Amino acid sequence: MSLEEPGPDADAAAVARAADEMEALVGEHVLSRDDHLNAPGYVVRPDAVQDVLGTLREEANLDHLSCVTAQEYEDRYESIYHLKSYDDPTHEASVVVPTPKDDPRSESAAPVFRTADWHEREAYDLVGVEYEDHPDLRRILLPETWQGHPLSLDYDQERPQIVPLREHANPLEDDQKADEGETMYLNIGPHHPATHGVLHLKTTLDGEQVIDVDPDIGYLHRCEEQLCQNSTYRYQIMPYPDRWDYISAGLLNEWAYARAIEDMADIEVPEYAQVIRTMGAELCRIAAHMLAVGTFALDVYGDFTAIFMYAVRDREKVQNILEDLTGQRLMFNYFRLGGVVWDLPDPREEFFESIRDFLDHLPGSLEEYHDLISANEILQVRTVDTGVLPPAVAKSYGATGPVARGSGVDYDLRRDDPYGYYDELDWDVVTEDGMDNYSRLLVRLREVEESAKIIEQCVDLLEDWPADDRTIQSNVPRTIRPDDDTEIYRAVEAAKGELGIYMRSDGTEQPARFKIRSPCFSNLQTLPEMSNGEYIPDLVASLGSLDIVLGEVDR
Amino acid sequence: MLGLDGVVGAVVGGLIGAFIIANVMLTTTAIAGPWAKRKITASFTDRIAVNRVGPFGLLIIVADAVRLLSKELIVPDGVDRPAWDLAPIVITFSALIGFAVIPFGSGLHLADPETGVVFVFAAASIASIGVVMAGYASNNKYSLLGGLRAIASNIAYEIPLIVTAASVVIFAGTLQMSEIVAVQRQPLVTFAGVTIPQWFAIVNPFAFALFTLANLAEIGRNPFDLPEAPTEIVAGFQTEYSSVYFVLLYLGEFIHIFLGGAIAATLFLGGPAGPVLPGFVWFYLKMWAFFLFTQWARSAVPRLRIDQFLNAGWKGMLVLSFANLALTAILVGVIV
Amino acid sequence: MSDSAPDRFRSDPTQVETDTRDARISGTDDRFNSKLRQAFGASPFILTKFDQFMNWVRGSSMFMLQFGIACCSIEMMHTYAVKHDLDRFGAGVPRASPRQADVIIVPGTIVSKFAPRMKRVYDQMPEPKFVVGMGSCTISGGPFQEGYNVVKGAEEVIPVDIHVPGCPPRPEALIYGVAKLQERIATGESSPVVVKPYDLEEFGDLDRDEVVDQLAEQIDEDDLVMRYNWADSP
Repeated sequence: MSLEEPGPDADAAAVARAADEMEALVGEHVLSRDDHLNAPGYVVRPDAVQDVLGTLREEANLDHLSCVTAQEYEDRYESIYHLKSYDDPTHEASVVVPTPKDDPRSESAAPVFRTADWHEREAYDLVGVEYEDHPDLRRILLPETWQGHPLSLDYDQERPQIVPLREHANPLEDDQKADEGETMYLNIGPHHPATHGVLHLKTTLDGEQVIDVDPDIGYLHRCEEQLCQNSTYRYQIMPYPDRWDYISAGLLNEWAYARAIEDMADIEVPEYAQVIRTMGAELCRIAAHMLAVGTFALDVYGDFTAIFMYAVRDREKVQNILEDLTGQRLMFNYFRLGGVVWDLPDPREEFFESIRDFLDHLPGSLEEYHDLISANEILQVRTVDTGVLPPAVAKSYGATGPVARGSGVDYDLRRDDPYGYYDELDWDVVTEDGMDNYSRLLVRLREVEESAKIIEQCVDLLEDWPADDRTIQSNVPRTIRPDDDTEIYRAVEAAKGELGIYMRSDGTEQPARFKIRSPCFSNLQTLPEMSNGEYIPDLVASLGSLDIVLGEVDR
Repeated sequence: MLGLDGVVGAVVGGLIGAFIIANVMLTTTAIAGPWAKRKITASFTDRIAVNRVGPFGLLIIVADAVRLLSKELIVPDGVDRPAWDLAPIVITFSALIGFAVIPFGSGLHLADPETGVVFVFAAASIASIGVVMAGYASNNKYSLLGGLRAIASNIAYEIPLIVTAASVVIFAGTLQMSEIVAVQRQPLVTFAGVTIPQWFAIVNPFAFALFTLANLAEIGRNPFDLPEAPTEIVAGFQTEYSSVYFVLLYLGEFIHIFLGGAIAATLFLGGPAGPVLPGFVWFYLKMWAFFLFTQWARSAVPRLRIDQFLNAGWKGMLVLSFANLALTAILVGVIV
Repeated sequence: MSDSAPDRFRSDPTQVETDTRDARISGTDDRFNSKLRQAFGASPFILTKFDQFMNWVRGSSMFMLQFGIACCSIEMMHTYAVKHDLDRFGAGVPRASPRQADVIIVPGTIVSKFAPRMKRVYDQMPEPKFVVGMGSCTISGGPFQEGYNVVKGAEEVIPVDIHVPGCPPRPEALIYGVAKLQERIATGESSPVVVKPYDLEEFGDLDRDEVVDQLAEQIDEDDLVMRYNWADSP
């Protein structure tokens, strides 16, 4: 099935056997097979979604609803549930639910996987599929007054839209001065110092305690999926991933697209380029985690304090290295299909020297962070046992990345679904069992160490790489036209977790559907679970420890 | 004073003294607010801060003050008018009044009532009423939360603050500021020719630590800056204030810090006592040392959560301060 | 300046005149115009000196609004922080509350849902206030211009004094932009701009259909109308 490992026939046969076994489990509901490049796909009736997903989760151990993709064909709507297993992410299946054009109704998966709640709202918002039995089916990214569904085929983009400011009419009017009721309704955001961008938290308070929090997103919905669908595979899409998770995590995001399209169009990547990619990606991870730690400290300390400044100082060093490598500080646009755009900067020795310098100083600055943050008693009092996210809850919301690993879920695509050069290198997946804000902070700090280990090994490899074997790009055709109706879902471990991309080609050089599975989108869903019943400062700290980037949440 | 006698002399002298002290303190806060705070914070965080406007960026003081005063004063819809206007005035002037009984040294001592200690704490705690007024009258939920936090924290920490001060009073045997300073002049021990004076911070460092903590909470600085708490409740009780009122609040905050420093210096650090330099300079330096301490805490210490903060106040500080008071009382009773 | 409603939507781009552009060229609406000067009529010596002093004051010190939107806000944070230290220019104190801020740096893409909120925040700031548009998105929508949800530049919503191009601009560029803004304020030549209102007249130009009819009575001046009429953008 998977093009990633075109191993011996025995492997392919085993995969096929596993797919058939799964089909046997849910056989009664399966109408036909619609296999994707990454996984077997089972077409099921719209009223059997919960049965099928429930069975697959219980019997086939597919406990991770990674993504829900909705799309419109000429003759039907289709919702695809991409399932994975937390134990082994290469164990995948897709459940395809076609619905008729005139009545796009399908059963909701929210009762089985809680993460489906937001994913299906997004599908409803952008494509227009309606889900029955959904707890709260309304628009999520676009304003309530929006007319039409922008990713549906008959959407007219010339038509003016009207966006009222009704939510902010007078926040005091209805709720605070009401006679009855002990609670207070508070709008946190979309412009608030703690929301890290433009997130809006509709919070209900009892005194200082949070009774209910409802994240309202879409204030940075930049139509990334539409723009990618209007761009060509070869060059035009690559700049956009940089802008999803814009906290210097650009190369990690570019890799998500590169991996998907390289698997889809069967493009080889030279080993030398893979090492460079691995090194660059881990540098990005360090930069992203530094900012996560810095802003988390900002949230808990409450001011632009020493820790924030130190974190930015270390980021500046990483950004200098990345600028030498790619030519930009933030939006790198460095990956190309089949490799990277150019080789390491000359003189190479100087470049390696600068990386080694940085790595030599890193343990010292990490020591400083530990002194200032994690060893501080007040910070421990503030963060230990607050924002608790049990592993089972994390899994049902599809949480990934440091958020899941802070809850003890041992899930890291770099190791479990290896790509690039990761499986050749010696490093560990970091997990913490605390499940709280403090664990998530520790996971990030320790992951920086692991990334440093990876970078060091990459630098060693690159230094000794024979000069006549430095191919940075394989031969890639000028225009790429994957076969008609090829579908693939591929994910990489980005800074915030599993960043996946679903693409369907229609034989042209632009994707017919480009769906981004953002880790932050799923992670942010856990916020009410973590914060209900706690205090406002804990809500702020939990939000900081989730480390969301609105560019990726809203896309 | 000035050779004038009787009522007229007292009034004129008092006014002149008040004028001098008020101006000294306002100048001090004007330096501290826009300039020193930025410079100190910057040096904690590896930066330079203002250096373009005048020498060392000092003219930023003029620029900041005039600019803020000249801005549009926005009165939001639905504010509770007299309270909203009075709050900044109450906050600023309550702190200024406190300086009336502070002995600055070098003869600069406006009033020396027998109940000086009581007066200064009474004056300082009026500010929290101002904060509550600001929070309640602003018609803004963040302000309201800030106001509520202010009142909760003031009740919780005012008691340990005053009880700890009471231990000093027991030691000194008087409530009069000048007497408390005088008592601290006496030598504690003489060691190798160096006489260590009987400063209460040296006599009872435990009480000094308690007092400093409670003082931080009282003036609302990190780690106890809950009424303001940026990143949680935007700017707390200040959220809706602009222009002149904001200047008053900002000044009030800084005058409060310096008043806290002045009280600590008077009660625990021997007031204006110190070698070589004149007493006034020493007193001034001690106030700035306390200011520096608050800025250091601001840069390096995380903020407590409101319930933890109150727990620490009621269950920790209160018990410790009463223990300290009882112990001091027993010791004083036995020794003296 | 075109006041009659039908002129607002011109399809020929060369014929487009907008309030903003016209106001800039004609130099009307000086935001510093004080009541005092209106009373005196002309500009007596003392007021000229006073004006110069006030311009120096406003150009030397400014509080920024702590306001992050998208990618550019990361570079904006770097501009405040260690290496670039915007506070050297007296412009590095971020205030969380718009009531206490002088300058709003708009760092990122503005989308339909956020635009009315941003205007609300801008309205909450006290005069005189200045806007620095950071990045290509605040100029034209940048790389996202063709998105169905993206407002084509910050000037659709609020007046912008300084545009800093780039995607994202380097911190040095932002510092240059802020320094340039300070320079312009200090020499008294800050660009005269008018706030472009969303009034019902603009709305009234839309084709009347059932949706417009349904929303017509609910709409007020704070509402944003996404028009997708690029020729009419400032």
